[in-house]
Amino acid sequence: MTIRAHAGARTAWVFVLPVLAAIVLMLILPTLLALALSVTDYSVYALADWSNLRFVGVDNFVQLFSTPLFWRALGNTAVFAILGVPMAIGASLGAALLLNSASVHWKPLWRVLLFAPYVTSVVATAVVWRFLLNTRFGLLNYALSVVGIAPVDWLGNPRLSIPAILLFVTWKVFGYNMVVFTAALSAVPQDLDEAARLDGAGRWTRFRHVTLPAIGPTVLLAAVMSVAGFLQIFTEPYVMTLGGPAQSTTTVLYFMFDQGLKWWNLGQAGAVAFVLFLLILALTFVQARMGRRYEWL
Amino acid sequence: MAAAGIGTAAWATGACTRRADPDALSFWAMGYEGDYSPHLTTAFTRMTGIRVETQTLSWTEAHEKLLTAFAGNSLPDVFMLPAHWVGEFAMVGALARMPDATLLDDMLPGALNLTRAGGSGYAVPWVIGTQVQYYRRDLIEQAGYPEPPADWAEWRQMGLALKRRYPDAFTILLYLNWPEALLTFAAQLGAGLLRDRNTRGDFASPEFREALRFYKSLFDDGLAPRVLATQIQDPVGAFAQGYFAIYPEGPSLLLDMRRRAAEIPPDKWRTATMPTPHGPAAAPGACHTLVVAKTSRRPREAWSLVRHMTSVPSGLRFQRLIGDLPARASAWRDPQLANPTLKPFAEQIAHLSPTPALVEFEQIRAEVQLIAERVVRGLVDVNTATTEMNRRVDLMLAKRRALVEAGRIA
Repeated sequence: MTIRAHAGARTAWVFVLPVLAAIVLMLILPTLLALALSVTDYSVYALADWSNLRFVGVDNFVQLFSTPLFWRALGNTAVFAILGVPMAIGASLGAALLLNSASVHWKPLWRVLLFAPYVTSVVATAVVWRFLLNTRFGLLNYALSVVGIAPVDWLGNPRLSIPAILLFVTWKVFGYNMVVFTAALSAVPQDLDEAARLDGAGRWTRFRHVTLPAIGPTVLLAAVMSVAGFLQIFTEPYVMTLGGPAQSTTTVLYFMFDQGLKWWNLGQAGAVAFVLFLLILALTFVQARMGRRYEWL
Repeated sequence: MAAAGIGTAAWATGACTRRADPDALSFWAMGYEGDYSPHLTTAFTRMTGIRVETQTLSWTEAHEKLLTAFAGNSLPDVFMLPAHWVGEFAMVGALARMPDATLLDDMLPGALNLTRAGGSGYAVPWVIGTQVQYYRRDLIEQAGYPEPPADWAEWRQMGLALKRRYPDAFTILLYLNWPEALLTFAAQLGAGLLRDRNTRGDFASPEFREALRFYKSLFDDGLAPRVLATQIQDPVGAFAQGYFAIYPEGPSLLLDMRRRAAEIPPDKWRTATMPTPHGPAAAPGACHTLVVAKTSRRPREAWSLVRHMTSVPSGLRFQRLIGDLPARASAWRDPQLANPTLKPFAEQIAHLSPTPALVEFEQIRAEVQLIAERVVRGLVDVNTATTEMNRRVDLMLAKRRALVEAGRIA
């Protein structure tokens, strides 16, 4: 018995080892290296001559926390996440519920069409969306003008730039979670729904007490992934606004990119990376705890 | 330059697909210079039998791409480098020393000065440029002027006259994320930008504050739209439609203007020197140089490619193709450059202001412009902003200051 268990464990290790190796090599090691980098003043001078490298302790973190742009970037990222996660998940869930309705025909076609934006290139679609959001010739402002609303400076007004980018992001990503939700919804037992209907439950009550508990774990997973995704948002502001106007779309990752890859202050960028890592870890932990409380995990 | 960046995307992908000719020299250049370099390299290949693979980089990410390529040991044999980046790449040890001083013979003094500031002995000036005003002759005439006035005060009067006539249009296009205009005004007023051997910011000087105030006033008076480069998808089209009457740009816009002649016929626009505070003043110039990577395995062939690309005939050919102005002095004696459109360029190139030579200058330019954008948007006033510029630049230069004080760098 013990020998068999031993052999089983060995087989298990053989299967698990490649994944563990990948995790150590691509996740744990880089995290440790980023931490090591963040306590040095690695900059373009160190690239020139290693003897210019100094150990600076927590100086990078102190300097980071006294940089107004870092806090602004953190604030912008928070706005992206707080507005973006409900927008993206709401759009996904709404589309999935519509697709799940028995009265909808040609479901595969709709699924493909709604999923299509997810597989398009960000850079190419960003160009299209910049045209759509153009203040003078944009289709969106044209639509607004039909109902009598004055032109909106979507990408030029620091207060509207994040919502404008979120429109684009939501359109781009909602298809993925929509497919996930569609799969979860198809597993919701129909008899429970019918029983609730017979008991006189309305549409909302049935959604709240039958559908939502059934797809709860899926929603939680989508939320965790979306929060992590939105905290790392970079490409969309980079291709839409270059972090502007007035740095209103500069996110934490954008700040890190500028510091690290643009100006080669890798020490400082390492500090940003580590702070972001702790932030995502903490938020995921909180979400997992919440999920456990509602027995979704 | 933004137009060039967008226009090159298609070319860049084209260059990516045909790769890996181990015997060819690799060559990287930005914007139109990259797109049109194959027109110059074919002659080189015909003469020497050495094949050249050209790749275009887009301007918006050229700096990080080159630095990353150096860190990853994958720089091409020969590449184009703006003069004010030469010092940085020389310091990190990316560049090979020039083997032959005759490569610098017959250069415009302005081009040599811009290059010298960045560390001499590495880079050969290739093309030179400066921002001049491309103006809509018809619109300026409607405002009652035969050409844009030469000094700031009168120039503003012309702008206000235009604004009265066309309230929805603008006089000049100044992208809020591009530092060129503000730095031009600062250079015209003689603002030094940095002090103490380039280890501290000098942005709170009266000259720089005046430049920033003038810059801000153009937006406050409605002469310039508050837009970023990402918001104007087609600046040449907007210029043709009269959205703005003056487009400050370098010589590379000449190619766009020729391509779009159907929309904006040549008789509708002219060029003029930038307006100055009072009388002739220095303006910043841009010089693009060619350098050879230290890691190049064929430095002799690489330098002969540099010599070919920077020759007078190549310079004149490039001028015909994309408008770029040659850095070789004798090219300017050619009748081709006597064209009146090029005269304002020549005048400004004769009085170029020096560019500070330090590794961090690109970052300083970007940071200063970010604060200037906040000034224009009314988020901060001029005096607070210039103090903040000093503070941030001082912070940025902390490492350099320590190294200069320790005598490790000049």
